[in-house]
Amino acid sequence: MKLTRSDRSPLIAFMAPALAIMLVFFVIPVIYVIVVSFLKWNGISAAKFANVQNFVKLFRDKAFVRSVTNNIIWALVAGFIQVPLAMVMAIILSRKPKGWKFFRTVYFFPQVISGIALATLWRAIYSADTGLLNGLLRAIGLGEHAKDWLGTTQTAFPAVLIYWVFYVGYYMVIMMADISTIDSAYYEAATLDGASDFQQAIYITIPLIKKTSLLTCVTLASVLGLRQFEQVYMLTNGGPANTTSTMVLYMYKKMQDTNYGMASATAAILIVVGVVFIVCIRALFTGGERTGTVRKGARK
Amino acid sequence: MTESRVRYHLSGKELFLAILRWILIIFFAVYTLFPLIWLIISSLKTNFEFLAGSPFALPAAPQWQNYVNALSVAGLGRMLLNSVFVGLLATAFNVIVASMSAYCISRFRFRGREKLYTLFTAGILVPLNALMVPYFVIINKLGLYNTYGGMILLYCAIGIPMSTFLIRGLMDSIPIELEEAAYIDGCGFFGRFYHIILPLSRTGIVTAATFEFLTCWNEFVFANLIVSSEKLRTIQVGIRYFTNQFSTDYVSMYAAIVISIVPSILGYVAFQEQIISGMTSGAVKG
Repeated sequence: MKLTRSDRSPLIAFMAPALAIMLVFFVIPVIYVIVVSFLKWNGISAAKFANVQNFVKLFRDKAFVRSVTNNIIWALVAGFIQVPLAMVMAIILSRKPKGWKFFRTVYFFPQVISGIALATLWRAIYSADTGLLNGLLRAIGLGEHAKDWLGTTQTAFPAVLIYWVFYVGYYMVIMMADISTIDSAYYEAATLDGASDFQQAIYITIPLIKKTSLLTCVTLASVLGLRQFEQVYMLTNGGPANTTSTMVLYMYKKMQDTNYGMASATAAILIVVGVVFIVCIRALFTGGERTGTVRKGARK
Repeated sequence: MTESRVRYHLSGKELFLAILRWILIIFFAVYTLFPLIWLIISSLKTNFEFLAGSPFALPAAPQWQNYVNALSVAGLGRMLLNSVFVGLLATAFNVIVASMSAYCISRFRFRGREKLYTLFTAGILVPLNALMVPYFVIINKLGLYNTYGGMILLYCAIGIPMSTFLIRGLMDSIPIELEEAAYIDGCGFFGRFYHIILPLSRTGIVTAATFEFLTCWNEFVFANLIVSSEKLRTIQVGIRYFTNQFSTDYVSMYAAIVISIVPSILGYVAFQEQIISGMTSGAVKG
């Protein structure tokens, strides 16, 4: 519809609230983080220009380096273990086995439960004395392997990381929506040619979702892996000995110490690492060619 | 006999795959449900039963008292109300503002429209957690630290890109002729929005509202950041304090977690289609 003269002022009035919000809560904060990352500032006294001192300090801090490493591991595990698992389940449930709707509903549960509630639940599961995991181990005669999972340096980070990997519902649902748009003629032809379900998955489904929902899910999972906060905050608060810290948790702690410069520098690095991940994953999946994230057509 | 055997005969490989498929399906279901069931059963035990008994034993008698404790003693009831109050208001403001901007972006061609839309979609990808410092400063500068208003504004704001995206998607599908006809009949900007576009984009708005409310309900990071008073705590922040404060009263702690989870699960089951379509379409764009 063309914009007529009488529409101009109501249009501006209609856009204004959303625009103001975008400016105040998205544009300015991102600029703010970048600017403050070059300052030495405690939030109260006058800020001083610190050049790249904040970044130098960050990379000299073992806790920060550990946090970045943890986030990168997290992002890779999410993108390249969790998402492939989700893909397998999406392919399986897309064949609509008995009760698939029930399973789809159940797999999605963790996605609607808050991160805090889930983390609290898992803290209870990993608990040394009263936890479900140790209870299970004792029940099947492996009691000697029972330990304080979150309090031991060797097991804390794997424990924080692993429980999340098997919650595949979110990515599975995204890929199922994509798979449902694939023309069934491909499968019919393949069946006539005697291709098994397995071959159909490998030669039809996966290539067809690779550049659409699979790319989206790997990107999304990695980016979410880089943003982890609630899980570690609730499960271990970064301990023992910072082995489970993440960038956002590190930033949060710097902020609690009113070291706004270093907190912002951490945020800036987080944003940059995120962009690098998005670009690399895209290049990996598309071989550099430009492509949309959705196949045009019958998506509901 | 032989014929039917030939017909239904599965090769070794196919049989293996069929078994593997069901092992996977059941594994993931048990993995999700078992901890939740354990949580619910534990929340109905006495502390003695929980500590001394097997983790798989059922309670001798269900201890509903644990839930009463969690709600009254720890003040979880008030936190639930806070969450509902903040969530409902933030959601209402959010979908109003988002419908208005979505209407402009979807229906009118003006300079900078594409750039504007890029700004909104980029907003979906920004790692909000990284913006803790500026959000904290902005909320303080606005004089909204430790207020319901601060939470409502922030929650409304962070959901704007997503809601605009979801509502715009639906508005794009409404035929332009409907609006043109109304225009010729003398219907103004606001009239067309209110009488034609809004009713027709109801499903998109419901999806956005469901999604936004769920986000508010589950949000922890910012609620923890911009609120200090106990009276204003939302349920998620409450759970965190609860688990520290009552760390030895295991069963009440579990009851508290169940109380926070149940509305999410019920809401999800009731609005399953909206939540799934909201989450998938948003992600697909990401």
